[in-house]
Amino acid sequence: MPTAVQTLDISPVGRVEGDLDVRVNIQDGVVVDAWTQAELFRGFEIILRDKDPQAGLVVTPRACGICGASHLTCAAWALDTAWQTEVPRNAILARNLGQLVESLQSLPRHHYGLFMIDYTHKNYSGSKYYEEAVKRWAPFTGSNYEIGVTISGKPVEIYALLGGQWPHSSYMVPGGVMCAPTLTDVTRAWSILEYFRREWMEKVWLGCSLERYEQIKSYDDFMAWLDEKPQHANSDLGLFWRMSMDCGMDKYGQGHGRFVSWGYLPHEDKYQKPTIEGRNAAVIMKSGVFDGHSDTFKLMDQKFTREDTAHAWYDEPGGLHPFDRKTVPTQKNTVDMGGKYSWSTAVRHDESGRLEAGPLSRQLIAGGKHGESWQHYDPLVLDMYKKLGGASVMLRHFARMHEGIKLYRQAEHALREFRLNDPWYIKPRERDGRGWGATEAIRGALCHWIEVKDGKIKNYQIIAPTTWNVGPRAADGTRGPMEQALIGSPIKDPRDPVEVGHVCRSYDSCLVCTVHAHDAKTGEELARFRTA
Amino acid sequence: MANLLWLQGGACSGNTMSFLNAEEPSACDLVTDFGINILWHPSLGLELGENLQKLLNALTSGQMPLDIFVFEGTVVNAPKGTGEWNRFAGRPMKDWVSDLAKVASYTVAIGDCATWGGIPATAPNPSESQGLQFLKRQHGGYLGAAYKSKAGLPVINVPGCPAHPDWITQIVVAVATGRGADLSLDEFQRPKTFFTSFTQTGCTRNMHFAYKVSATEYGQRKGCLFYDLGCRGPMTHSPCNRILWNRQSSKTRAGMPCMGCTEPEFPFFDLAPGTVFKTQTLMGVPKDLPQGVDKSGYIKLTAAAKAASPAWAENDIFVV
Repeated sequence: MPTAVQTLDISPVGRVEGDLDVRVNIQDGVVVDAWTQAELFRGFEIILRDKDPQAGLVVTPRACGICGASHLTCAAWALDTAWQTEVPRNAILARNLGQLVESLQSLPRHHYGLFMIDYTHKNYSGSKYYEEAVKRWAPFTGSNYEIGVTISGKPVEIYALLGGQWPHSSYMVPGGVMCAPTLTDVTRAWSILEYFRREWMEKVWLGCSLERYEQIKSYDDFMAWLDEKPQHANSDLGLFWRMSMDCGMDKYGQGHGRFVSWGYLPHEDKYQKPTIEGRNAAVIMKSGVFDGHSDTFKLMDQKFTREDTAHAWYDEPGGLHPFDRKTVPTQKNTVDMGGKYSWSTAVRHDESGRLEAGPLSRQLIAGGKHGESWQHYDPLVLDMYKKLGGASVMLRHFARMHEGIKLYRQAEHALREFRLNDPWYIKPRERDGRGWGATEAIRGALCHWIEVKDGKIKNYQIIAPTTWNVGPRAADGTRGPMEQALIGSPIKDPRDPVEVGHVCRSYDSCLVCTVHAHDAKTGEELARFRTA
Repeated sequence: MANLLWLQGGACSGNTMSFLNAEEPSACDLVTDFGINILWHPSLGLELGENLQKLLNALTSGQMPLDIFVFEGTVVNAPKGTGEWNRFAGRPMKDWVSDLAKVASYTVAIGDCATWGGIPATAPNPSESQGLQFLKRQHGGYLGAAYKSKAGLPVINVPGCPAHPDWITQIVVAVATGRGADLSLDEFQRPKTFFTSFTQTGCTRNMHFAYKVSATEYGQRKGCLFYDLGCRGPMTHSPCNRILWNRQSSKTRAGMPCMGCTEPEFPFFDLAPGTVFKTQTLMGVPKDLPQGVDKSGYIKLTAAAKAASPAWAENDIFVV
């Protein structure tokens, strides 16, 4: 005899890509349905209309203060492809380095500031790891919380060496970069990287050298590493893994099982004459669509992108490619779960449907054999995905952190490859045309489409990772990736469904929840509380 | 203990990210050493299990004192003044702002969006955004020109896109340590201690400015960015070249023109075609001259500077 369905309205959830609200229905202690609502509209695409073609370099980093370098990367490459520029080797490296250090910054900041706090929730006080978790990860006062949050500011010091400041520089421009770093900039950047590796990555996060960690190629290797030394088991990674298993974080948060990545980090020797079509064969980290159901991989192409507006607050037809969009916001944005309930469109791949974006997607795609022979390959997360029965809160977060070591190596590569006396910028000729620039922000697939006509912006469209992940239902009723991932989450205490927060945070939504639990039948409010 | 509440309206979280880069004091130090009780912050979320709306209501009803109300992002009024395009905890964010500003001892606007409207308020301003007490140069903003917090101050404006972490933490520490009365504000309600000198003050390209040696293109290792690349350093009030960014550098040091982001007009010229990273000139003279310099003075000065310019000034100076 199933019990009545309870509806929880969680407001707000997620404050980085705008306000995110979540509604879940709970039955017999499990989430049976979910709706994610983006609750802020600023209209950047509308602001960009009729502006200077380079306005995107200024405006779009301000779309998100956490992924500003990623937006800047997209804005610059979009103009490069539209203006048919030549981008010198040094500039490709300098752009990549900016993107990389921003992502490195985000690792400890999200991990300690937003994710691990949850492990100190009273729900887990029965875990044998709880006491240690509180000691390390309690907000502001936890020993490793303070180390992690403070050291997160270090990698972006390198961004400041290139662009003057982080967040919000516009140092990447069509034709290259504004800066011309000198030897002292490079040596200082090295010492900052080394400090980050020594003081946090190796000492706190891994409990071993990067070199030892890099030997791990399979799930079995990882488990052997965990048991090899107490330093490994007791590192923050070791404790995260063991406590996640102990608390069942590996058991829910699955999602659709289909993943997308644009690929990123153009190779310094392969993308100096950038085109939209040539990008897939030029990026170090390959693009892809991974279908976990059929275990198949293929390359991703921007031409398959469609935006469905059936449940989004836009008065324009659904199923359009971004080049065909007009961005007409609905004036009266009333929440109607059967109708329109979000500022996020439902993005889909025209052949593969709704896809999840993020570090887990990237790491699964890194395990594919598709793409160019020289592109990055790493089978670990794909192996874990298969051995652990698919995606989960734990694996999604693990993938994010696992990537950090590789980002670090790519940052080293950029510093090694700079040729200080070669050019950083080649002045382009401004022209009309269509362009597209993409990258992988720490949260996942990000890209910009631009159309320049008569020397000004005719159309500018952005699809952010959050748009892929928190999109509402599509016209055919398909749930968005996060809506789907919430299904099956066990809710220990309906007055305190912290598990909903875990799922959302595993997607790296910067969030704090206020939850109202209503008894669906009587409408009686059961509880209100926050999960930090 | 000073109770601090930090909310975000039409925001990108850039000021939060900047704030987290702070050292001396760091965000953690503020809590542990300066007794700042961060009641709530959208990304740091303290007090597990507490209820945000109950907390907000306790503040608005006066049950709990609100010493410092920090606001990041614009006040969104769309559509048609309702604020429904930015809902927070069940109601338009602007309504929370009205209620909280009434009970706050100090109200602090962090970053351009909260101070002047910033990027979201760029024409056509689709979200009908305002700053707390200004819209661009116009005094008033959302709370109105007459607004005073309980301590008797107008909104303390800490502009910048984003604001520098030190500007944020030091203002907060000043208030928390009882020095709020010592804050002296300029006509745009910016703390004078940070916003009296110019972005150019301390710029490593000042010698090139003096001899009118221009960086004509990006990626050069010499020259001033004012003459061709649209740098607003001489007309912008900020300590960017005195208190460096991320402890390392500044835009102008790294070769990026200052965009004047601490001034109410940012983004200048509403990013109209032809205005981005290009000096706007009239008959060869920049339309915007260094503050306080008139056209005839500028022409005399640059002619003399050019005539006196030493040969080395045209060589690379920031060498490998």
